[in-house]
Amino acid sequence: MSAADWEATAYLRRRHGQVLAEASRRSRAARQVRGRVFGALAALGMAASLFPLLDIVELVAVHGARALSAAVFTQVTNGVSGGLQNAILGTVFLVALGLAVAAPIGVGAGVYVAEWSDARTAAALNYLTDVLVGVPSIVVGYFGFIVFVGDFGWGFSWLAGSLALAVIMLPYIVRATELALSKVPLDLREGSLALGVTRARTVHAVSLPFALPGILTGVLLAMGIGIGETAPLLYTASWSNYNPSLALTHSPVGYLTYVVWTFIQEPFSTAHSLAYAAALLLMAGVLAINLVARQWLGRRGEHAA
Amino acid sequence: MRGERADRLYRAGVGLLAGAVPVALGAIAVFVLVDALPALRYMGLGFWTGTQWNLGNQYGGTTASQNGVVAAAGATFGILPYILGTLLTSAVALAVALPLGVGAALFLSEYAPPRLRLWLSSLVELLAGVPSVVYGLWGLAVVVPAVAGGIGPWLSAALGFIPFLRGPVGTGLGLLSAGLVLAVMVLPLIAATARDAMQQTPRALREGAVALGLTRWEAIAGVVLPTARPAIFGAAILALGRALGETMAVLMVSGGSINLLPTNLYGPVNTLAAVIASQLDAAFTDATHMALHALAGIALTLFVISLVVNGTARLIVRREGAA
Amino acid sequence: MSTMWTSAQLEAQERPAGGDAAKMAVRGLSVFFGGQRALEAIDLELPERQVTALIGPSGCGKTTLLRSLNRMTELVPHSRHEGDVLLDGRSIYGPGVDVVDLRRRVGMVFQRPNPFPMSILDNVTFGPRRHGVRNRRLLQEIAEESLRAAALWDEVKDKLHHSGMSLSGGQQQRLCIARALAVQPEVLLMDEPTSALDPISTGKIEDLIRQLAEDYTLVLVTHSLPQAGRVADRVAFLLQGSLVEVGAAQEIFTRPRDRRTEDYLTGRLG
Repeated sequence: MSAADWEATAYLRRRHGQVLAEASRRSRAARQVRGRVFGALAALGMAASLFPLLDIVELVAVHGARALSAAVFTQVTNGVSGGLQNAILGTVFLVALGLAVAAPIGVGAGVYVAEWSDARTAAALNYLTDVLVGVPSIVVGYFGFIVFVGDFGWGFSWLAGSLALAVIMLPYIVRATELALSKVPLDLREGSLALGVTRARTVHAVSLPFALPGILTGVLLAMGIGIGETAPLLYTASWSNYNPSLALTHSPVGYLTYVVWTFIQEPFSTAHSLAYAAALLLMAGVLAINLVARQWLGRRGEHAA
Repeated sequence: MRGERADRLYRAGVGLLAGAVPVALGAIAVFVLVDALPALRYMGLGFWTGTQWNLGNQYGGTTASQNGVVAAAGATFGILPYILGTLLTSAVALAVALPLGVGAALFLSEYAPPRLRLWLSSLVELLAGVPSVVYGLWGLAVVVPAVAGGIGPWLSAALGFIPFLRGPVGTGLGLLSAGLVLAVMVLPLIAATARDAMQQTPRALREGAVALGLTRWEAIAGVVLPTARPAIFGAAILALGRALGETMAVLMVSGGSINLLPTNLYGPVNTLAAVIASQLDAAFTDATHMALHALAGIALTLFVISLVVNGTARLIVRREGAA
Repeated sequence: MSTMWTSAQLEAQERPAGGDAAKMAVRGLSVFFGGQRALEAIDLELPERQVTALIGPSGCGKTTLLRSLNRMTELVPHSRHEGDVLLDGRSIYGPGVDVVDLRRRVGMVFQRPNPFPMSILDNVTFGPRRHGVRNRRLLQEIAEESLRAAALWDEVKDKLHHSGMSLSGGQQQRLCIARALAVQPEVLLMDEPTSALDPISTGKIEDLIRQLAEDYTLVLVTHSLPQAGRVADRVAFLLQGSLVEVGAAQEIFTRPRDRRTEDYLTGRLG
């Protein structure tokens, strides 16, 4: 920096000081208005995002509560009337078996990605996991139809439906496990390894217990997603008016989401009632699971991390 | 020694399980492709450029052979209307959800007091957990009547000089309703991702902007939005991926048109995902099985689109929350 | 809001800006974060076109004092203050004061260089544009003069469209100074501006500070006593949120009146 530079610019600076102060004064009101307008737009975006949730909850709660009766739980569907016992049990059956398949595989895969694979393999597996999350569920459903129903010859069945659901739920569990394990403090892990404890034992005795809240959160969220799915089940579990049996194959299974979809399009009020009742049960189940996962386990998980 | 062997066994075990994800992806690709091949050979490129979906003569027992593949006489499977319907519904959804989602993210990240922020964030994330059939139900009960009786006529009157926005509005079952329901479904994804990105703006940059005498909005527009822009872009593509593949909600409010190219914003449409779900019953009746293969062709098309879109999005946004 | 008004403050508010008056004056200023008191009843004058250095051990409140001069302390949730700060004799906390204009007139340079992720030119014109300057030629002029004033022009004039992040640390800090100068401030607050820089860059910034004092009123927070000795006209020593003593740099360094100042200068404190 030269003194000449300084001198050369001194006059300009004084002039620009006035120009800028003047411009700033003149534009002040417009700037404040602009700030308010965009602030209001942000608030509007917030309101527009919340309104549907509140409206959906209200719609389903009001119509659903009116439709709920003991019969909903004690009777099976009969044409477009009756109860939902078959659908409730079917949803439970399908999700339970789906989780029984997806949870161990997902947790194991997550453990491998977090604990053993090198950085490049981990990145590749994570990427594929994210991509699998993005595969449309109807595509998974059609895949299940081709392979489980057709090629394997199981027909519309509990097993076919559950395996399709498992494919949907799997990536969420892998990701949650991997994420939870990656938050285990290094010194905790190294402390165990330094004692000469093997890697497998360290994972079991140190890392997994530490990561458990996070993993359970992931499993719960996957469960919520499974309960709410329809498309993967349409042509794997199909639909049944009867309670599910323990037969794994060749016996279609009913589920709640199917009732919402088909019965609301029927021109009968009994059908509409059942659709709203099913929607209420689904919402209650999914929201309860989400709340538990996010609030209780989520907080514990964060706390531990 | 024994410990080491157990270690290796354990490692091999979980390594095998880790193969489940690539195997699932690969199996979906291979089985759907193989199942789709007869239809693709029967139709050739016309599968994607044709506009007519027709199972052919199902009663005469007559069959036609084309490119060495047998189908019912007169059968033709063109899915262009469904491709267009998929793109259009998703475009409407993004056009609505992107500004609203970014606005909500701005509110959560920049304007809301901390306590309120936590509450509102949880509520928005709950929105992501609502089953898609329930969105469809809400769409039928609330959105479709609103489009038929309010939004549609109003838009048509106000912006009718644009041909695509001109009525008739019809029953409300159609493109706009499907787009609006999809918008609500992808809103939480956009809002949550954008909010996280905005909150990662370094404090030093915010302070630097404020210290220049900028208003809060100017600091946001000048520093926060540019920082979050890549993530918002990624979230938009991710949302696009979700909208493209959504089945049930669209199926319930889109009007389910067949062989019809949409002529305005309100008319019935159909999407790739919804066609698969709605046409399987009919496809079973095709004794030549060609209709089933054609549905597999749709599934394949949708799979490839979702791979491209999600693959791109995931390269931009690493690791968004489990929602 | 200010809760304590002394007659001296009321008088000061009415006094027109005069040539010999302090550019800024701190009157009985206390600042609280939550329940914690960060500053206690500070009285300090900042003479026009002089460099005042705030020194003291870490946690003494010197950065808080600096940030309360352009109301940046308000960005911290649950902060409040008592007392007042005057700019040209007028309260900066008074009703009707536009904080946006205040921050334009009282600029700030931070501990770590924080250029915006945009081109060098855009960094400098960012402020003026927001303040309503639209004329491209004028913006260009302001950019050049600000970069010259920050002693950076010769180094960047051929790459004005390169990212501000591509510069070296010292250059980045001078870019931040240019950015602050571009909105034509009267006072420049500097919060340990060389703490992240190497000795050569530090030297350049110190030369620049002396140069800037010809036109601007500067307040410098520094943890380096030699730096305060090299660039400051006046030095204020703070300890545990209180102002221990203030005076001409020469005086403070050679004949401190307070025992605690002497202890700090000789390294027995902090």
